Amino acid sequence: MSKYDVIIVGAGAGGGVAAGVLAEAGKRVLLIERGRNLSFEDVGRDHLRNQRLSQYGHNAGPDINSNPRTLEVNGDERTIRPHEGGYHANAACVGSGTRVYGAQAWRFMPQDFRMASTYGVPKGSSLADWPITYDELAPYYERAEWEIGVCGSHDAMKHLPDYNKPYPMPPQSVHTQGRTFRNGAAELGWHTLPIPLLINSVPYNNRPACIRCQHCVGFACPVDAKNGTQNTLIQRALATGRCDLLTETMVERITTDSAGRVTGIAYFDKDGQRIEVTSEVIVLSAGAVETARLLLNSATSAEPNGIGNAGDQVGRSLQGHYYPGAVGLFPEPVHDGIGPGASTATCEFNHGNDGIIGGGMLADEFILLPIIFSKRTLPPDLPRWGAANKNFMRENYRRVSDIKGPVQDIPSYDARVTVNQKVRDRWGIPVANLSGTTHPETVRTANFMHERAKEWVKASGAVKVWGAPPGLFLSGGQHQAGTARMGDDPQSSVVDKWSRVHGHDNLYIADGSVHVTNGGFNPVLTILALSFRTAEHIAQNW
Amino acid sequence: MLSAHQTEILRAAVNRIIPPDDFPGGWEGGVGDYLSRQFKGDLKDLLDTYRVGLDALDAESQAAIGTGFALANAEAQDSLLTQIEHGSVKTTWPIDPESFFSMMIDHSMEGFYSDPGNGGNRDQIAWKMIGFEVRG
Ligand SMILES: Cc1cc2nc3c(=O)[nH]c(=O)nc-3n(C[C@H](O)[C@H](O)[C@H](O)COP(=O)(O)OP(=O)(O)OC[C@H]3O[C@@H](n4cnc5c(N)ncnc54)[C@H](O)[C@@H]3O)c2cc1C
Repeated sequence: MSKYDVIIVGAGAGGGVAAGVLAEAGKRVLLIERGRNLSFEDVGRDHLRNQRLSQYGHNAGPDINSNPRTLEVNGDERTIRPHEGGYHANAACVGSGTRVYGAQAWRFMPQDFRMASTYGVPKGSSLADWPITYDELAPYYERAEWEIGVCGSHDAMKHLPDYNKPYPMPPQSVHTQGRTFRNGAAELGWHTLPIPLLINSVPYNNRPACIRCQHCVGFACPVDAKNGTQNTLIQRALATGRCDLLTETMVERITTDSAGRVTGIAYFDKDGQRIEVTSEVIVLSAGAVETARLLLNSATSAEPNGIGNAGDQVGRSLQGHYYPGAVGLFPEPVHDGIGPGASTATCEFNHGNDGIIGGGMLADEFILLPIIFSKRTLPPDLPRWGAANKNFMRENYRRVSDIKGPVQDIPSYDARVTVNQKVRDRWGIPVANLSGTTHPETVRTANFMHERAKEWVKASGAVKVWGAPPGLFLSGGQHQAGTARMGDDPQSSVVDKWSRVHGHDNLYIADGSVHVTNGGFNPVLTILALSFRTAEHIAQNW
Repeated sequence: MLSAHQTEILRAAVNRIIPPDDFPGGWEGGVGDYLSRQFKGDLKDLLDTYRVGLDALDAESQAAIGTGFALANAEAQDSLLTQIEHGSVKTTWPIDPESFFSMMIDHSMEGFYSDPGNGGNRDQIAWKMIGFEVRG
């Protein structure tokens, strides 16, 4: 008999929730993570090596010397390290992105689950409906909001059906930047709402309230008031005594019996030793790029093109978010130094935009590290050096603010993860290769949203507005999703409506890969909610 | 490392990229310390480029105004750097002058505005100047 009922690969958003739910349901769980369990000090506050500015490295993994990928652009192939552009990194540590994220906690809208029916499918796009509805996911959104911990105002979420229960915590008090943009939106007649955040606005879950520091997104919380899986569901899993957590452990592949049925996984431990371990059920939660890589690297004679890949869908339709925006210079300081910075959003343009497919949410920005401000946010007509540059920094760091937001990706089959047999990582495993771009309709929607962002900044009193519209590229990155889509038909999807891989009774996926489309919102609350639903289903059926 | 002469040229250039006013110039604000640390770390492979580029900058200065760059006055240094920024140079550079200057700008900003843990931004002087506070 196996020592474990369930093995979960990846201790990030989806994997952390699955571990908690399954261990509490009485299952013996093995949770495997390739990264480390990072303390606040480990994450640090290095302004040049973090998950917001990865100039020379980053602070939440993956290790930059062990995990290459290749990127293919117009037939040219480049090998890239994790902190470099084009790699599409999220994070790799206990909690993964949730250890250092901005913690925006958005539900998708009902229309986001019905994109093909609502808009039709543009030529060349893999736009599709989800096999589940918003209503089916709503109870699990609620679980995520309560069990991980969200602050916000359910009354203000006018773009959504009524909530069954309010958020467990009230929104954070509004600061000058938020007030400025609320007033601007009011001028335009746009409804705004406090951004729901996975942050304690008041003490919650035996941890204190946020101290409103300036190093939120991209860093760990100094008082542990930011809620991820590392300080909630993973702790609950460990507290049962039924969950073993292995860190710095790299899963190589899924193992199968001679008939192709999944039996367990093979991993490399901290010392590089290869070990096989079996279980009844396997849950892949390695994130959209790495889950696809695992499926493809686990080909068997029964499934020579990779597990779950009968319909040639694994790795395709990689999605993320374009993030268009606009920056404004205000006559008075808009930054009062109160973090995290992002406070106020509008959902006026997520749907119902004439002649546009989908849309997106817009919100004010997190406090920018001064070096990010210097590198990315200065007006294009400002000299890059000299007294004028220094003066602008000095006079206007607190007078500049921006609006931006995630645009609903219109997916393309060609935006794709494959594996590269010629390039291996530190363990000798073929690496992920990324290729293709999003569908051109995404760019059109992003341009539309860029114009709305400019309008908002202007109406809020900016005396100068800048920012450029985006071009065509591959989306993915920290919001990566879509590489093992959910659907009823095995020919056009990878998992069924319970996130079980087609053709397998005991292989599930609980991470962003299963998203059919990725909404016009930051994705993590949907990943967390789906994982609650999937894990509950596994607990009831195994 | 850089020679003493090359360091003087670098210092002069950094102090035109981030000139002193009632707040220190880039070099005194920590860019020099940042760079000497980074030349042993992430920028190790660029040390040669710096040597070549700084020598070329000095030669350019000699050719254009008859004096080494570090000895020129601020106004002359600025106009020379402006020329280089736009790629209009009198001498033959072994490396691309525009990209060399652009790189010096990037590294100067990193040394001045990033966290003191990276060796620059002495006593958080740049953060005090712009109003970036650190809590927690
Ligand atoms: C700086 C930052 C800010 C963000 N802000 C927000 C926000 O405000 N709102 C929002 O909604 N989202 C945000 N995100 C994104 C969010 O964190 C991700 O959407 C989420 O973490 C994805 O969840 P996942 O379960 O799909 O994968 P992940 O959380 O990435 O989990 C995957 C885990 O699997 C591990 N793994 C992969 N392969 C293997 C293997 N072979 N063996 C062992 N382990 C493996 C990885 O190391 C990783 O820890 C942010 C992310 C970052 C980095």
